[in-house]
This record gives sequence, structure tokens and C-alpha cells, in this order.
Amino acid sequence: MAEHTVAAFDEDLGQISRLISDMGDLAGTMVGGATKALLNSDNALAQRVVSDDAIMDARQRELDDRAITLIAKRQPMADDLRHVVGSIRMAGDLERIGDLAKNIAKRVGSVGLTATPRDLSHSIDAMAQLVLIQVQGVVEEYAAGDAAALAKLRNDDERIDVKYTSVFRELLTYMMEDPRNITACTHLLFCAKNLERIGDHVTNIAENAYYVLTGTQLPANRPKQDETAMSAPAA
Amino acid sequence: MKPMLSTELNTPEAVVDKAKIEVKNLNFYYGQSKALKDISLSLPERSVTAFIGPSGCGKSTLLRVFNRIYELYPKQSAEGQVLLDGQNILDRSQDLNLLRTKIGMVFQKPTPFPMSIYENIAFGVRLYEKISKAEMDGRVEQALKRAALWTEVKDKLNASGLSLSGGQQQRLCIARTVAVKPEVILLDEPASALDPLSTAKIEELIDELQADYTIVIVTHNMQQAARVSRQTAFMYLGELVEFDRTEKIFTSPREKRTQDYITGRFG
Repeated sequence: MAEHTVAAFDEDLGQISRLISDMGDLAGTMVGGATKALLNSDNALAQRVVSDDAIMDARQRELDDRAITLIAKRQPMADDLRHVVGSIRMAGDLERIGDLAKNIAKRVGSVGLTATPRDLSHSIDAMAQLVLIQVQGVVEEYAAGDAAALAKLRNDDERIDVKYTSVFRELLTYMMEDPRNITACTHLLFCAKNLERIGDHVTNIAENAYYVLTGTQLPANRPKQDETAMSAPAA
Repeated sequence: MKPMLSTELNTPEAVVDKAKIEVKNLNFYYGQSKALKDISLSLPERSVTAFIGPSGCGKSTLLRVFNRIYELYPKQSAEGQVLLDGQNILDRSQDLNLLRTKIGMVFQKPTPFPMSIYENIAFGVRLYEKISKAEMDGRVEQALKRAALWTEVKDKLNASGLSLSGGQQQRLCIARTVAVKPEVILLDEPASALDPLSTAKIEELIDELQADYTIVIVTHNMQQAARVSRQTAFMYLGELVEFDRTEKIFTSPREKRTQDYITGRFG
């Protein structure tokens, strides 16, 4: 893309891109850290994730300020306009991903007290890996400007939803086997739900990034599967 | 790159209304120099169309073809067709006075006549119609109201048009245009010499006038084009590069040249 006649405009847009990239990296670190802390009952790591959330919030506020100032000063058009508005929305989703990772981290202490999480969380581990790949992927593909990869990544959220269903069933089985698992499994279930929600925010980011890059919206319907709603009453 | 001149591109998809002006394969020459190159586009009735593009792209030239005002100057000529309600206005047999009652024009610099506010409006009406003093009073009031100027000038209709502020003078020119009951209003940078408040009043006026008139506006202010128009044409070096719904042009234009221009990456 050619440079703007006003060089400072490019600098302003560049700062917004850098903030999105930083927030994306931080979101990946927080999600990775939160699941690792959960699986290893690592309270120190969990604490770090909790404190990282404050950094995430500060970045989002900075991005909002810069984006609003840019709109006021430069009245961006076309791809520039999509870039700025898309960044505001993506930053909102990244900030929520940070919150959800923090929520997982805050449960580390409670799960660790009552059971050995590793034994109960085989499929949560696999789900977390999928989510982490999605979080890291979405920011990379956006930075690379690969719209086709973003469309695919958005559809890949279905795999997380399927995984969530199996985690739900697995934890249900543990609870039925031994009621002493209920406390830990309930916490883990909330963690799984948080991971599933992170997947949804990644989907939103992919949709926004696709729009920023192409100027067209992805179709409203994407594959969606949540079978836990069906299984829950039977439990 | 050749401009895309498919039928689809030259009739914005959301616009289904009847075409008021249809331009077909229009070329325009200043002496030997070709200023408009094979322009074809269709302007829908009772809506605002904006022409944007860098200086010298031909947008004002195109506007000046619509009322054949270019004929005031030697060595300027147009070829092709410009159909107003299906009638080719470039036809030699076209009555120019009649054409200019149908197509009014307002220029960048306000051009009130050196006469009273009342006479500025009555002058044009008198050229075409013989009406009584009472009827003329009504027409003047109606035109000034239409141009949102009435409340500001109703107590000083005999004051000189030149005593008004720039923004008021421009609205007086619009009132003068409206008074002869045209069908099309051409606005060539109508607000570029005005302060933001006067500009807002002109834009509000354009918004109201489009219920009754087909309006074509040439502007360098892209935000203004985005605010007031329903379809926008981007021109460059005498070519029509892109013509589409205004939202489409300013959020995701098809052509790279359009994008580069409106985002400030040109040249």
C-alpha cells in the first residue's frame, strides 16, 4: 500500500497496528499461561496472568484514545476507516480474552485444593491447545493480511465447540463417578466455558479482520455446535 | 489501467429510480486538449450525486456540460449525448434559455447581482414569466424560505444582496436558482468559501432540496460528498474511474485509484 501524502497519518495508523499486535501477543501469553497454571496448579503463574490483565486494559484504553484522536484529526476513509474502526472492535475482543484468561487463572487455587487437576483434565488440555492456536493465529494472519486464512480460522472455531462438548461430558462422568470431584470439576467446567468464550472472541476478531482487509463481511452463519445444551437435562 | 465502464458500474446498484440525466460516451475538448474521455453515467432523479477528484480531473467540466455554459467560451466543444429526460441537450436545436431554466447552477464564489435582495430573485423570474406584484412577492418569499434565508432577510428585502455575509449570499444564489423552478441544480463547490456554520446550512438545504430536485455537486471536501450525496463519481484525468453508492465509495471502493485518492495516498 502506498504511503499517505501526510506522513504522520501513516505513523498514527502504524501505532494502532502495533497496539493490536501487542494486545494479540499478550492475549496469547495470558491464555497459554492460564491453562498451564491450571493444569500444573501453578499459583505463581496464575498470579502473573491476573496482573497481566491490567496491562491489557491499559493497552486497550491507549488504543481507544489513539483511534478516536485519529478519527478526529484525519477523518480516515475507505481502508483507513475500516482499519481504525476494526481495530477498536478487535481491541475490545482482545481485552475480553484477557478477562477470560484472568478468570481461568483465578480458579487455579480453588481447583488445586480439592483434586489433582491433571487427572481430571485430559480433554481440557487438548481444548486449551486448540484455543491457543486460534488466538495466536488470528493476530498473525491479520498482520500478514491473509483474508482467506482468517475465513478458515473463523470456521475452525467449530472444533473448539466440539471439544467443549466432549470436555463437558468427561467432567460430568468424573462427577458421577465420585461426588468428591464435583467442586474441582465445576471449576474446570467454568474454565472450559471460558476457553469456549475465548474461541468466540477469536471468531469475532477474525470476522473484523476479514472486513478490514477486504471491505466485505463474511456470511452471518458459521458452523456452530453446542451439544451440551442437549446433554445437560439428562445429567 | 482502463476505467471500468460496465453498465453495472455506471448505475449504482441501490439506485433504482428513474434517470434524470443520462450521459452517453461524452467527450469534451478545450481546443485540441481532451478534457473528458468517453464518460457514460446515469444520474437518478431527485437525489444528490457528487463528483469528486483532484483539480483538473474534469468534474467541473462535466458539470458545465449539463447546462452548456461552456458555449460562452470559444474553442470548447462536446461530443456524445447528454439526455435530460431522454432529450439530448447537446442537440443544436436545443433552446438554451429553456435548458437553463430547467438546469440551474450555483458557483463556488457567491455571485449576487448588484441589486436588492428582492430584485436578485425577481430578476430571473421576470425573464421567463409575467406575473403580478403580489404573485412575485409570494415567489420571492417562497424561494427565500426554500433556501432557509427568509427569517434572516425578511425585514431588509430592499437591502443590497452584496450587504449579506458570504454564507447568506450563497443561499441567496440558491434562492435565485430555485425561484425559476428548475428541475436540476448544479452546485460547483458551493460551500468551499464558507465557514463551517454556513457550510452546515448549505448542506442542510441540499438535503431538503433533493426531495424536489435532482442535484449534482462538485466538491473537494470528501466528507461533504460523503454527507450529502447518495451516489458519488470519482474522476481522474478526464476519465470516470468509479461511480457507485456513496457509502460504497467511501468505505470500500472497487478501484485502487479511488481508494488512493480518498485516503490521501495520491501521487
